[in-house]
Amino acid sequence: MASAVDAAGEPIPTSAVLTAASKHIGVRCQPENVAFLKCKKKDPNPEKCLHKGQEVTRCVLGLLKDLHQRCTKGMDDYVGCMYYHTNEFDLCRKEQQAFEKACPLE
Amino acid sequence: MTEAVIRKKPGMASVKDMPVLQDGPPPGGFAPVRYARRIPNKGPSAVAIFLAAFGAFSYGMYQVGQGNKIRRAIKEEKYAARRAILPLLQAEEDERFVKEWKSYLEYEAEVMKDVPGWKVGESVYNSGRWMPPASGELRPDVW
Repeated sequence: MASAVDAAGEPIPTSAVLTAASKHIGVRCQPENVAFLKCKKKDPNPEKCLHKGQEVTRCVLGLLKDLHQRCTKGMDDYVGCMYYHTNEFDLCRKEQQAFEKACPLE
Repeated sequence: MTEAVIRKKPGMASVKDMPVLQDGPPPGGFAPVRYARRIPNKGPSAVAIFLAAFGAFSYGMYQVGQGNKIRRAIKEEKYAARRAILPLLQAEEDERFVKEWKSYLEYEAEVMKDVPGWKVGESVYNSGRWMPPASGELRPDVW
């Protein structure tokens, strides 16, 4: 793994990046997530929930980019630690504190 | 010959009259040796022992409960992370599936174009719900 961003500076949604940002996603993209899950529960057909799915993707990818722009170092360190320890939260507490201090959970 | 030299008695007529040389107790005898049991009857009573054991057990179980609480919190954190990113992953998979399904439907229309009364993409189930395709090969590029 080279880094958390691709050539254009957008964070790649790998498992390490997503678990590192999971608390922020859970807080900031919650309306979109809940709407998508409700739609899925009503009808599991993927074609029916494409629009809500696009909302979710847009929200999460935008959030990742925003987080990366606001606290690049903190996020990079946390993502690197997550990658090293395969998404084990308990082994990355220090980087987690630093990241949440730089980009608070609001 | 040497025994007679060591043990001789003045005025001895023959070797058979030698005095007896024996290993024996010192004069006055040995000191008395205690061989009786002397297990003392003091120490904690049965109730005290039981309470101590029960106390140790309760303390241990309390620590187990605390440890379980901590472990549950760790697991909850992991599950919350999974719940947060699940919709994104499902949405991405939905996009990929819809694209794949459309191309499959075109292929099906191409193959079955001469069969009268064939509805392309018709569900093989009667329940009315949408069911994922059960062809046994969900993602051939992965499997």
